[in-house]
Amino acid sequence: MERSVLMVGIGGQGIQLIGKTLALAATESGLNAMLAADYGGEMRGGTSQATAVVGDGPIRALPILPRTDSAIVMHDKFSGAVPERLDADGFLMLNSSIVDPAKAEGDHTLVSLPATDMAREIDAPQAAGLLMLGAFCRLTGIADHDHLVAAMTSLLPPYRAQHAETNSRALAAGAAAVSERDLAAVSV
Amino acid sequence: MSAVAQPAKLELLEGTTAIARAAILSDCRFFTGYPMSPFTGLLESMSDLMPKSGGSCVNVESEIEGVNMTLGAAATGARAATGSCGQGVALMQEAIAEASLNETPIVIFNMARNQQDYFQCTRGGGWGDYRTLTLAPKDVPEAVEHTQLLFHLADKYRVPTILYGDPLIAQTRVGVRLQPLDLPALPPKDWALDGSLGGTGRSRQIWTWALGKRNAPGPGPDRHWQELAEKFESMAASEQRWEAQHVDDAETVVVAFGSAGKFTEYVVDELREEGHQIGHFRPITLWPFPGEALAEATRGARRVLVFELNAGQMIEDVRQFADDRKAIRAIGGISSADSGLSFGPLLDAPEIRGRIIAALKEEA
Repeated sequence: MERSVLMVGIGGQGIQLIGKTLALAATESGLNAMLAADYGGEMRGGTSQATAVVGDGPIRALPILPRTDSAIVMHDKFSGAVPERLDADGFLMLNSSIVDPAKAEGDHTLVSLPATDMAREIDAPQAAGLLMLGAFCRLTGIADHDHLVAAMTSLLPPYRAQHAETNSRALAAGAAAVSERDLAAVSV
Repeated sequence: MSAVAQPAKLELLEGTTAIARAAILSDCRFFTGYPMSPFTGLLESMSDLMPKSGGSCVNVESEIEGVNMTLGAAATGARAATGSCGQGVALMQEAIAEASLNETPIVIFNMARNQQDYFQCTRGGGWGDYRTLTLAPKDVPEAVEHTQLLFHLADKYRVPTILYGDPLIAQTRVGVRLQPLDLPALPPKDWALDGSLGGTGRSRQIWTWALGKRNAPGPGPDRHWQELAEKFESMAASEQRWEAQHVDDAETVVVAFGSAGKFTEYVVDELREEGHQIGHFRPITLWPFPGEALAEATRGARRVLVFELNAGQMIEDVRQFADDRKAIRAIGGISSADSGLSFGPLLDAPEIRGRIIAALKEEA
């Protein structure tokens, strides 16, 4: 078993944090993981991309994935690496607060979550990415809530430690937002 | 190489952190560096981890200063290393030549921005008859093994050794088990300037010209350099490393090193599964180049496709050894990110696949 996920967004949305959280939580759950990041000098506002591969054996995948079986899209475009590389029968998660799901139709399984709006509602406006990650992990079973929270907490620098609690709420809210219908669609 | 029993815990580590941990596992006690992307992560990890393990890490003002401090530390018998990217290793060339000719073992981590430093590490830019043993890992787990091996080989032969890394190896996070390699024991460093003979009139000397002292003349430059040349020749014969897949019946053999070799190996595996008679050859030591093994792997091949991310450097070594020189084609090229700090779009499996397939269609 090897699962790959391509995460795209813009700088400041937490793409790198969710990539690291996913890879670390998977590792701490006893799986093998690889995380390749691609972000330029722009810390805020530029494109930010991360790819994670998780498997039960040593990872064979390349650090630049030719194909991916799933993707998380946080920014407002549906262009570039995700439509080019997502498997035809892959699984796509969209932040529908920002991206119009109509733009991302195809043979892949689409799960939309208004993550930015939901994050605002639970008073965690900076944690939309983690909310998406919570839902993604519930859908794929890659890592459970406790491992995600532990990984995220250990990755925060000391000057951001106060965000651990809000971030945990976002992870939980994402997982709770997954419907039985989405679970059934992704498990097919 | 075999690892000892008792598997270490699987840890998710960024490449530079994994290499730093492997260096400390190898008893590296002294490290120097000046920040240069993508080497900076290694310097950061070393500056964090070295003091915790009782060693020293110095953020130097220049690479020239750093490599010479490393040379000094290594001369006392400590395991010592430095690093940069190719642009900084360029400044170290004089000291690398000196360390080669005065037989001081140091390890140099070239976390290169690209594959354009092949000539730099295999030919070098210092003076004299010296060679630098260079290992080019394809990924982070291999870099962890190579780091340990480089410290071992540096001490074994009393030479500088080089790790040829790159941005993917530096910055990718991978699950790694940090296991000590089961390497043979080495003799004590009876040559080290450890201060134990100070004031006795018998103090030791490390000198490129080997002239010795008035009361204890050395062999002199002529004999010393001839002995060194013999040493490099014996290293060339016994330290070649490589990996070959599907070459026995291959009509086409793809040759690539480092991270690029991981990508080409992936594409070759795909094409094999699709029924192409294609094989793969990856030099692991860039010097000594595994020439005889390449000749064997390319015997009878109609095409030898060299993929490297530069204007054509390793291809010169391939031309020296491939069974049929007329079969050789370059399918790589310069490909840099806009920043100049990393690989460009050519290092991508679909792109490489397209170039190999185009070459397969050409009549060999």
